Amino acid sequence: MKQHFLFPYWSRYLGWGLVIAHAPLTMIARYGIDAEDARGTQNLFAGNHLFFMCTALLMATGLFLVAFAKEKVEDEQIWQIRLDSLRWAIYVNYIILITSLVFINDTGHILQLNLWVPLLFFIIRFRWVIFRLNQSLSREG
Amino acid sequence: MKNNIRIERAIKNVTQGDLANQVGVSRQTINSIESNKYVPSTVLALKIARVFGKALEDVFMLEDGD
Repeated sequence: MKQHFLFPYWSRYLGWGLVIAHAPLTMIARYGIDAEDARGTQNLFAGNHLFFMCTALLMATGLFLVAFAKEKVEDEQIWQIRLDSLRWAIYVNYIILITSLVFINDTGHILQLNLWVPLLFFIIRFRWVIFRLNQSLSREG
Repeated sequence: MKNNIRIERAIKNVTQGDLANQVGVSRQTINSIESNKYVPSTVLALKIARVFGKALEDVFMLEDGD
């Protein structure tokens, strides 16, 4: 099979590490020290923006690495599942995006949505299909 | 598309894992093809037929709906 570019297998663990590391950092930002002086600053390199940038980067990079890491055996069926899951992720992303554009009067969430919905949905759908495949394999022995 | 990989495997006494190794895919893929859940690419179909030493049409055949 023609080889397409994907990250090496181990990068999924690095990816999950980054995603997990991002969670407590975001909690600190929300409830901790930054909350007070964050309001009202418009400076591009003000603490809150820099912090948001770093945590968003951590999460997005993490999800990206997890989503596009190679499987142990990367064959044409895996590739097809990958493409199919990507198609579903784009569908879901745009359905949520369009619905929220119409019904929610706050555009700030759009970046957040676009950051994690497609990748997260892709990962969940991809892993679910592979899990089902493995299940049917073990059922048939 | 139907196939008789399972029968050919039984004749040649080849396991799913062996066949998967010989054609360079995972065991899941062979299993999906056997249970008609996945239609292989032409390249993979030709490789599988070659393992059994048969013509492509002897291993894979079209169904009415195809």
